[in-house]
Amino acid sequence: MSARALCLAVLLQACAAFGADKVLRVTFQAAETGFDPVRVSDYYSGSIIEAIFEPLLTYDYLARPARLVPKTAEALPQVSADGRTYTLKVRKGIYFSDDASFKGARRELTAQDYAYSIKRFFDPRYRSPYAFIFTGKIVGLDAKQTAAFDYDAPVAGLQTPDRYTLVIRLREPDINFAHVLAFPLVGAVAREAIDAYGEESPSHPVGTGAFRLKRYVRSSKIVLERNPSFRETRWDFDPGDNARFRALAERMRGKRLPAIDGVEVSIMEETQSRWLAFQRGETDIEYQLAEVAPTFLGDDGRLRPEFQRRGIQLDRSTDAEIIYLFFNMQDKTVGGFTKERIALRRAIAMAYKVEDQIRIIRKGQAVRAHYPIPAGVAGHDPDYRNSIPYDPAAANALLERYGYRKGADGYRRHPDGQPLVIRYGSMPTERDRQFDELMKRSLDSIGLRLEIQKERFPEMIKLQKECRVMVHHSAWIADYPDGDNFMQLLYGPNTHESNNACYQSKDFDRRYEKSRRLPDGPERDRLYHEMTRIMELDTAWLLTDTRIRNSLQQPRVVGYTKHPVLHAEWMYLDLE
Amino acid sequence: MAAYTLRRLWQFVPTLAGVVLLVFFLFNWVGGDPAYLLAGKISNPAQIENIRRQLGVDQSYAVQLGIFVKQVVSADFGASWATNERVADIFATRLGPSLTVLVPLLVISTLLGLAAAMLVAYLRGSITDRAVMIACTVGQSISILVYILVFQYLLAYHLGWFPVQGWGTTFSENLLRYSALAIVVGVAVSLAPDIRLYRTFFLDEINQDYVRTARAKGMSEGRVMWVHVLRNAAIPIVTNVLLQLPGLLAGAFLIERFFGIPGIGREVILAVERSDFPVIKAVTVYVAIATMIVNLAADLLYRAIDPRVQLK
Repeated sequence: MSARALCLAVLLQACAAFGADKVLRVTFQAAETGFDPVRVSDYYSGSIIEAIFEPLLTYDYLARPARLVPKTAEALPQVSADGRTYTLKVRKGIYFSDDASFKGARRELTAQDYAYSIKRFFDPRYRSPYAFIFTGKIVGLDAKQTAAFDYDAPVAGLQTPDRYTLVIRLREPDINFAHVLAFPLVGAVAREAIDAYGEESPSHPVGTGAFRLKRYVRSSKIVLERNPSFRETRWDFDPGDNARFRALAERMRGKRLPAIDGVEVSIMEETQSRWLAFQRGETDIEYQLAEVAPTFLGDDGRLRPEFQRRGIQLDRSTDAEIIYLFFNMQDKTVGGFTKERIALRRAIAMAYKVEDQIRIIRKGQAVRAHYPIPAGVAGHDPDYRNSIPYDPAAANALLERYGYRKGADGYRRHPDGQPLVIRYGSMPTERDRQFDELMKRSLDSIGLRLEIQKERFPEMIKLQKECRVMVHHSAWIADYPDGDNFMQLLYGPNTHESNNACYQSKDFDRRYEKSRRLPDGPERDRLYHEMTRIMELDTAWLLTDTRIRNSLQQPRVVGYTKHPVLHAEWMYLDLE
Repeated sequence: MAAYTLRRLWQFVPTLAGVVLLVFFLFNWVGGDPAYLLAGKISNPAQIENIRRQLGVDQSYAVQLGIFVKQVVSADFGASWATNERVADIFATRLGPSLTVLVPLLVISTLLGLAAAMLVAYLRGSITDRAVMIACTVGQSISILVYILVFQYLLAYHLGWFPVQGWGTTFSENLLRYSALAIVVGVAVSLAPDIRLYRTFFLDEINQDYVRTARAKGMSEGRVMWVHVLRNAAIPIVTNVLLQLPGLLAGAFLIERFFGIPGIGREVILAVERSDFPVIKAVTVYVAIATMIVNLAADLLYRAIDPRVQLK
């Protein structure tokens, strides 16, 4: 070997070694299910899909609240005056990552790929868990739910007049439809790849995104590498007035994306394993450490000094979610709109110590939720205060006033003298046991007898959808950052779907229907206020909390911040 | 022997039928409706019905049971409801990591257990014997979870002798690097009960006349213990070891979860959490078959070990 060749070999090896250092190591606390966008519903699979596939739109990395920006589209959609037609132009020169299904040719992304990808949500054989984001929206699409789905049959609401133009016609005006087009699962797939891999498509994702799948050991390890076909993209986000974002932007601005060479995801179900692995430097970012948060956080919410000395970085934010206690409004014990029933629900809500839920169960890593729309989501009102106070004394007085008197056993009875038992739905987990104890303490303080209804997760979902759970805690994480995604949880016609309180109020529903026709703004906010007060008066829910996400990063991680909507921020950060 | 073996093989059929019935009714009774799990955050009754139809859970129990029996006969349990992965592929890819941990664990813990048990049996009544027995009783009283947490913290995190968790790409890397701590934990957990059990087997033999005769003939203590006592105590030891073999198929889910080993134990837990009936069915049936085969093998081994044993 000549000296020149030797030098080249050494240089290449050095480059390879350098490249290996640029692999981000992260963990998932639960196993993924696969990477076919229409077949998954879990957060973890969604994160990988977000890294591999690209929707037409996405969210600005630093804008808060989250702001829509084009991804593979040339611009934000043009919306017709009647609000029913969305027109988008796909950028030219975007290519899928190389794959055997393309038979050696470069495969350009077209509008037809998006039309095909949207149709797939309605193919019955995929039984897509996220079909609801399109259900009832696109003209002529729902009608195609047949056993043998014909992708070539024309759909009136999905047109591609030329190679790069996608025209979507909606059955009704929908202000939020652009958010649907930014949903990570609406990323474009190539029909050739789907046809080639068939039932194996969940383990053979082929997209246009910044990364592609390199190695996959199911439920254990997912290794992504930089997609060589990824177009030239530079880090260029406006940090606004946020000092931390400005510092972040200074270090990242102008870098070609993705700045890292790959991502290695390890599935680690146990908190101790994740925590020890992070402390040993075996992982770079860790954000699933709620149980051990007091170990690394001080009372002021800042990192303890020993971690600061090691250069560990903390990114602290609230999730775009709400946790709430709901009452089944169709239940014969706590449901209904009579004054006695409203008083009973109100008394339970007033006796439930949300502060203890945050302090004990969340270990302080949550904030009180007052409004059904969380921070970071359009429509949120930081000044709104829930009208249901924690006041067991007043709750007792309320129950006395409406005839819920205590019997010889010390527990209250129905106004007609019948025994009164509150059944709280719970699952067989350690966390649920803590909720059971808190609920028991709360109800004991107002003399109500509690019965815990233990159900496994699938059964609990079924019972909720059938309006057969009396009282239960539930959580909702934003699908898209708009208040409508949260307010629909209380819309009457969504009973048996997402309205697990089975709440049906004409006053609420009328305002909700009106709000759906309005863009984010003062008029819609006023309606949301009124709807929230109506719900509180009926006491269908008690809003409890929103969890804080503490993301720890090793010193070498640059440019990371948790986005309120995006799951996989890997494309926007660097390792130094 | 052949007639006995055939008769025992024939007895597998009603036993397996019982297992199939039990699993089927247990799943349908307590397993929950998987359609609600697979339907996602928002679903309507029509979508739930479509999923139930595709999974076949909308059919009568008799039809579903018939499909289950057909799957057992053909050894084809279809695909996972949650991930669409073929059940056969799940076993093919997850069994290797489980065996990488559990086979060395079983071999090491058995050998160490036998050696330690023989020693304390030999020293019966001594301070060593009492100290070991007390340690075993304490060790057996501690949950496996404590062993995992303490060993992972001390040996992996604090001392840095092992990685906290992980799994590599080659067999040698997985065995020597990633499985090592899991094996240490497994051996620590199983050693205490093994020593206590094997000690009683040895004590049953150690006072027998043939042992006294062997010593009177001038045999060394090593030969007496390792040849004569061990051979005569072999039947209950073989039974105990063989009964642990079917467990290899089910993996060791806690160890696999904490140490990030992509084995069958984790998969079983995932299947239960997801109400993934095809995987649950396959694991249960395979473990039942393995148990029956191992029981038969143990009986045949008895005869090989001790020709006086009559198989009827």
